[in-house]
Amino acid sequence: MYYRFSGVTQRLVGAAASAAYSPQGLKPIVSTESPALIFGTTTKLASDLPATDSFLGKNKVPDLQKIFQKADGLPVHLKRGVPDRLLYRTTMALTIGGTIYCLVALYMASQPRNQK
Amino acid sequence: MAHQAHSYHMVDPSPWPIFGAAAALLTTSGLIMWFHYNSSALLATGLLSMLLVMLQWWRDIVRESTFQGHHTPTVQKGLRYGMILFITSEAFFFLGFFWAFFHSSLVPTPELGGQWPPTGIKPLNPMEVPLLNTAILLASGVTVTWAHHSITEGNRKHAIHALTLTILLGFYFTALQAMEYYEAPFSIADSVYGSTFFVATGFHGLHVIIGSTFLTVCLLRLIKFHFTSNHHFGFEAAAWYWHFVDVIWLFLYMTIYWWGS
Repeated sequence: MYYRFSGVTQRLVGAAASAAYSPQGLKPIVSTESPALIFGTTTKLASDLPATDSFLGKNKVPDLQKIFQKADGLPVHLKRGVPDRLLYRTTMALTIGGTIYCLVALYMASQPRNQK
Repeated sequence: MAHQAHSYHMVDPSPWPIFGAAAALLTTSGLIMWFHYNSSALLATGLLSMLLVMLQWWRDIVRESTFQGHHTPTVQKGLRYGMILFITSEAFFFLGFFWAFFHSSLVPTPELGGQWPPTGIKPLNPMEVPLLNTAILLASGVTVTWAHHSITEGNRKHAIHALTLTILLGFYFTALQAMEYYEAPFSIADSVYGSTFFVATGFHGLHVIIGSTFLTVCLLRLIKFHFTSNHHFGFEAAAWYWHFVDVIWLFLYMTIYWWGS
């Protein structure tokens, strides 16, 4: 009897002998090359028309695709480096600072006034 | 390197949802501070942080889709459902204000003179600027459809022209409405007529501005080659929203402007 681990039921379930020849737990050889870049070129691109090739700028999407698909482990909101970090920190400062100010203001507003 | 065995998008951890929630807290408590304590610092902070969160969240979605390729057909289907549900919720939002209008106008109270429009209210002539505004929005519905067809046919020049025209028509509507608001012989404080008129048309105007902004973002993305001839959901969502805004105006025009005059 051969067994494999079913990801659906999270249990061992019976399997055919072929499962023994392609073990589940065997990790594939890790490729050190970055994965193939995904381009949206299988459909007709508006930039394909030669007559309007340079109408309002050239297509920078492939370059941006390369930047954003770099395997540097950065999350998408920080992928561009310095400008992203600046914006993120500004937003965080405003929201966290604002929340503290808000709590202080609400605390003060909840104090009863002795005379109106 | 492990690959996922499904076509859904497992997003990177993101700070925008919690920052957005904080921005909502700052905006609402900022309104309280402005109304009751004459201080607008908190409100300004709230609106600014809301704007920053929206910009960065949507910027990240563009990055995840156009630049990282995460928007598979499965993901796109989910986004379509999401946009439809959102627009439906907006329809219910307006339904409330139409209810309020009919509640007051079908049975006008003695305080209003037992008539609608109430005694002393001189309503706007529906055959003047409001009719022009109707024509403008209907025309913009045609131009946005022209833009969509141009995108699917790969005609970049026409798509840009049509979308620009749509946005200009949207601005023209907003400008005309702003002028109407300024010149109107009645205000929001003029009985329930003023309340229902300005709250319903005011929220509609806000949605026109939101829709125009959405279309402008789509125009910028169109110019920057983000859309392909069969994957341009951002544009489709904007077009759906714009048609919704147009339909709401048609209802507003027929009920409040025309029947209600």
